[in-house]
Amino acid sequence: MEATVFMKLALDQAKFALNNLEVPVGCVIVENGKVISSGSNRTNATRNATRHAEMEAIDDLLREWQSMGLDQTQTAEKFAGCDLYVTCEPCIMCASALSILGIREVYFGCANDKFGGCGSVMSLHENSSLDDLSGGHNPRLRGFKCTGGIMAEEAVALFRNFYEQGNPNGLFYSISEASQTSPSRSAMIFSTHFSSEASQTSPSRPVRSLTVF
Amino acid sequence: MAWELIEVAGNLTPFQHSTVDVVAAKIESKVANALIRQLNQVLPLENLRHVKRVRRRVDSGEKSELSIILCLSTGPENCRNGFPEDVQKLVDTYQLSPFIAKVSGYPAMSKEEWQEQCKLWPTSYHPPNEIDGVSGFKEEELPSIFDRMRTAIQLSEQVGNVAIIVDPSSMEIISKAKDKTHQHDASLRNTCARVEAENGCCLAEATEANDDGKLLLSSSHVNNGLNMEVSCMNSWGWMKRSSTEQKTLPSEDGFLWHPLRHAAMVAIENAAERDRILFRTSSSSTTEAKLNGDMENCSDNELAKRLKIDAKDKEQSENEECCSDLSGRNRPYLCTGFDIYLVWEPCTMCAMALVHQRFKRVFYAFPNPNDGALGTVHRLHGEKSLNHHYSVFRIKVPDQYLNGSSDCSEKASSEEAASVGFWFLVFTSLRTVTPVFGSPVI
Repeated sequence: MEATVFMKLALDQAKFALNNLEVPVGCVIVENGKVISSGSNRTNATRNATRHAEMEAIDDLLREWQSMGLDQTQTAEKFAGCDLYVTCEPCIMCASALSILGIREVYFGCANDKFGGCGSVMSLHENSSLDDLSGGHNPRLRGFKCTGGIMAEEAVALFRNFYEQGNPNGLFYSISEASQTSPSRSAMIFSTHFSSEASQTSPSRPVRSLTVF
Repeated sequence: MAWELIEVAGNLTPFQHSTVDVVAAKIESKVANALIRQLNQVLPLENLRHVKRVRRRVDSGEKSELSIILCLSTGPENCRNGFPEDVQKLVDTYQLSPFIAKVSGYPAMSKEEWQEQCKLWPTSYHPPNEIDGVSGFKEEELPSIFDRMRTAIQLSEQVGNVAIIVDPSSMEIISKAKDKTHQHDASLRNTCARVEAENGCCLAEATEANDDGKLLLSSSHVNNGLNMEVSCMNSWGWMKRSSTEQKTLPSEDGFLWHPLRHAAMVAIENAAERDRILFRTSSSSTTEAKLNGDMENCSDNELAKRLKIDAKDKEQSENEECCSDLSGRNRPYLCTGFDIYLVWEPCTMCAMALVHQRFKRVFYAFPNPNDGALGTVHRLHGEKSLNHHYSVFRIKVPDQYLNGSSDCSEKASSEEAASVGFWFLVFTSLRTVTPVFGSPVI
């Protein structure tokens, strides 16, 4: 299955982040069946909690396309033919960004109950241009197709490793315990049995919501 | 009309009536400590951490009556049998008579809600942004808060958004940024002029503050409520930009333009860069970024306080010797405890970025009817699942301040009438609060 092939590459990126003591999230951007950009979380190194894997991959692409002389319209056309594979559900910020760029499709691994923007907390991928406020002259609200739960266990295993090694700089996201409502979240079950270790390393944090990124 | 600060409530339905049934029992005060210890060990209230284990009720000044939560209730029948084994042991040992009680299912988001919850069973309340015990603002802060917003509006020069990050404990400006979604300011201004001309709107020439400190802005800035040059207001507008601006060399960050570089995102990036430079560690010392700003009197431990980062100042290379001194000393965790001032209400992307970066308070002047995430279209700050919550305030800017320009006055007054409905709508969704003094001791 094609999605698994690309998700494996995204997982490699997440492992790269893990080895660099970063929250293990990784992604690849694919155009015409080819990986054209990749990224991994760099929130610790940059001291900037917005430097998620998606943002890193997007910036690399924009730099490259601008050096090739692509203008805004051409860039928008390119993004409309790109798919993103990311190990964890894009957060509300990244999902908004992907919508702004007009990406075609997103595949993610595990869900993000705390601040997922593709179904968990908000559903920004379901944006539609029907309620265009300015009568068509203002392009806005682009949705994208979104599929979750691809190799979610592997993505979650990386989070678990991350916690075993400890988060040195204390930059956190958190992913909550398993929820009954979504099948894709079954992979989150680890948090319940993992919670005791998590509470040892960071006693002040709530036990049942495992702090992950 | 004076400057006014209005809190934008995160929650439109302040009182959560969702409750959970628990099994409780009256206990003697002399066994209370032993029982609390045992129960917290064998049956901690995992999902009800905001609920206090013990309730004390005072009967007409006589003596107090204590009740303790034994466990969650699984149904009406488990009052008789079907307790967990550990609980049953305690019930037998202490001869307890269990009863069902209701407790609030969620932690309180406001003091009012907390007071309401405590009528059921006592809970603990932690104001969402408690840094120094004050979740809102202090009365004496108001002049400086308004002053910051005045600065932001002046910087915005009627095109685009402006973000200013401030450390309220030292009043230090941490970073400033404008929208950087388009190429540069000059092209921006031309586009703006063209758009306004097409719309038949007069164009105010002066955007500088005049002698009275009043700002002369064109009527389009505020009264029609839509400023399409603001990135957060027109996030998808980047796609329609013309390609005639391509020739210039990329800016230092390597981008000619960037669809996601809204003012708040750029300000966060600048603040992070400042952090990396001020608190250089061995792992991050590879960053050869330059600090935009001046460093004066780099001589003692007070350096951090004196550093002034000002994007308008000339670029100067940093003094590494002094900076290395600061490593590990009071390094802020992201933007924890900081305020951000935005001329326009942020979009969902920017609002979530502010959550990630752990801001304490967000102030904005003008609502964003297209994609405002903090009160107008969404209320992100009221989203309970988020791992951090900031307070949001709207600063109401006096009309006189915004419409000081005489050549626009006619136009402005007619537009003002048309916009009354819009403003009314905005206001009905806002909640005026009184300033919070001191810390709620709970």
